[in-house]
Amino acid sequence: MTGFEQLVRGFSVALSWKGLLYCFIGCLWGTVVGVLPGLGPLAGMTLLLPLTFGLDPTIGIIMLTGIFYGAMYGGSTTSILVRIPGEAASVVTCIDGYEMARQGRAGPALMISAVGSFIGGTVSVLGLMFIAPPLAKVMIAIGPSVEVVLMLLALFIISIVSAGSRIKTATMVVLGLLLGTIGLDNLTGAPRFTFGSPELSGGLSFAALAIGLFGLSEILINLEKTETIKAIQPKLRDLIPRWNDVRDSAPAIGRGSVIGFIFGIIPGVSHVVSTFVSYAVEKRLSKNPEQFGKGAIAGVAGPETANNAVTGTAMIPLLALGIPSIPATALLLSALTIHGVQPGPLLLTDRPDVFWGLVASMYIGNIILLMLNLPLVGIFVNLLRIPYQWLVTAILVISIIGVYSVNSSVIDIWIMVVSGGIGYLLRKLGYEMAPLLLALVLGDRLESSFRLALTMSGGSYATFFDTASVVVLGSALGLLLLIQGLAWVFGYRKSVTDEAERA
Amino acid sequence: MADQASVTNHASAPQSPHEPASQEPVSQKSLLPRVIGSRRAGLLATGALALIGLIFAWQASRLDLGQIGLPGPGFFPLLLGALLVVFAAAIAIEGRLASSKLASSKDEPLEFGHAQVLITFAALLTVPLLFELLGAYITLGLMSAVLLVCIARVSLLLAVVSSAVGMAACWYLFGELLGVRLPIGPF
Repeated sequence: MTGFEQLVRGFSVALSWKGLLYCFIGCLWGTVVGVLPGLGPLAGMTLLLPLTFGLDPTIGIIMLTGIFYGAMYGGSTTSILVRIPGEAASVVTCIDGYEMARQGRAGPALMISAVGSFIGGTVSVLGLMFIAPPLAKVMIAIGPSVEVVLMLLALFIISIVSAGSRIKTATMVVLGLLLGTIGLDNLTGAPRFTFGSPELSGGLSFAALAIGLFGLSEILINLEKTETIKAIQPKLRDLIPRWNDVRDSAPAIGRGSVIGFIFGIIPGVSHVVSTFVSYAVEKRLSKNPEQFGKGAIAGVAGPETANNAVTGTAMIPLLALGIPSIPATALLLSALTIHGVQPGPLLLTDRPDVFWGLVASMYIGNIILLMLNLPLVGIFVNLLRIPYQWLVTAILVISIIGVYSVNSSVIDIWIMVVSGGIGYLLRKLGYEMAPLLLALVLGDRLESSFRLALTMSGGSYATFFDTASVVVLGSALGLLLLIQGLAWVFGYRKSVTDEAERA
Repeated sequence: MADQASVTNHASAPQSPHEPASQEPVSQKSLLPRVIGSRRAGLLATGALALIGLIFAWQASRLDLGQIGLPGPGFFPLLLGALLVVFAAAIAIEGRLASSKLASSKDEPLEFGHAQVLITFAALLTVPLLFELLGAYITLGLMSAVLLVCIARVSLLLAVVSSAVGMAACWYLFGELLGVRLPIGPF
């Protein structure tokens, strides 16, 4: 079956009433969690994970992925109207988006942001469609030693591209790998750090840790804040941008698509990094750089396009290699595994319906989000009227039920609460949680592949330096150098500090 | 033109003007929240991380380590535990060097122990203790009521009614529609 025929088959799944319904639910919930500060895509996906248990794997993954890219759309709304980023990738949008809103131009900012998100999202799905299948074919031919090299490289990149302290990020990577060793040893079945508890034999629940480290810690940090905020509510007729807005934002949308697409490959915080780089690029290339920070529409269009262009690209390593590059795709990996689907090179041959159904649904989801976000922006903003303490109570109840329902284990609630407390303390001290979660997901497979490769080679470490490994390593390092070079040229690190302070 | 709408979101703003503000300006003398210098807090964190690394390394050393060419189940955790200790030490040294370089700069204060955070965390800690004993809906209902009274500052009656309605909604959504089996306690 050709790729086109498979895509048509994928559309038949995505356009079925179930596919459309759950894609819509995912996009709607994604927008809501994107709008609400304290709930990001990861927490949003984890909360609805139990809903997918009774569903066909393809439909379940369509819904969870809808939450992922829906949150990117929703995040921009609060950045522009309230100056509070709904999630991390929308921090940069606050700078010029809120300035535009203050000048009475919230409508064009929202419209351009939505259109840019749509274009960025669509471009990245095209990339996913064309890059993942050939990449998967290459990966089928490689052995566990190359897998080890790839995973180590991913963890190394997470450590060095982080906006915070590199040594702290590396420490979180090691801690994640260490926590990943809890449970039965994959190769010998020996229990490790389970202390006789059967609940720990399967390892720490990823969903419990993810909700604790991301969702709960964020809630606790937000509870410390006390400001009363003002939201600017645009009217529907104000959404139409002027010709000048279209002219200024079109090139930014084009560049944002390319930047998001390239940076989506970087493991770790690619969706955040891409927005800062896009903003820095637009500012540098602008004829009026002094307008940035005072309501330049290119400062909204570029970053919003970039963070949505990341969503499709971030799926490439997950679906083609089985290696998640950001926490949201790590949760998708976990969800696929729960459904008995193993992401990786064999996914396209074993379960093409999952891959192509997902690709098709992402096209449809982007259209749904475009139609959903603009007319309903007033409703989404009104969600912020709900007092935060009420919201917290509801979120905690749903989180606890969600975490418990994965394994029907109270231990998982303990893990969620304790990791939430630890995450709160560590985040206050400048440690990032994303590297820990990614390392936790990769740790098990890294160790298994490492030991398997050594067993296959009779204990020779030279297996990690064979031709295939060197080619993979060389290509990846070349790409990394190129991306780092681009980031350096456009002053990413400085931008991160400067713009984050301003936002 | 755009309308302006006041939205209280993060706010722990009081429900009525007669209620005291829930978050008063922090003074150095008040018991809570405690203000701790970032260097001291950072040192405590690195100490805790090093301790975790040591415990894992010690426990791993009791497992089969295998050989260097054919590692056993204890090899990886031992290596990672040792690495965690090394990294924790590196963070501590880095912090020490930075503070000696910038001796004149002020140590950034960090606040720990905000009332709302402590109440929420304490309520959460009781959930796993009571979850199977009282059942999911009663436990979560109690937690909701406590949080609504203590952090949302609503009346007890409103909190109880809201929690009961919320739990009924949860029962219908999770129990009936999604088929999630939750412990029902003594009932």
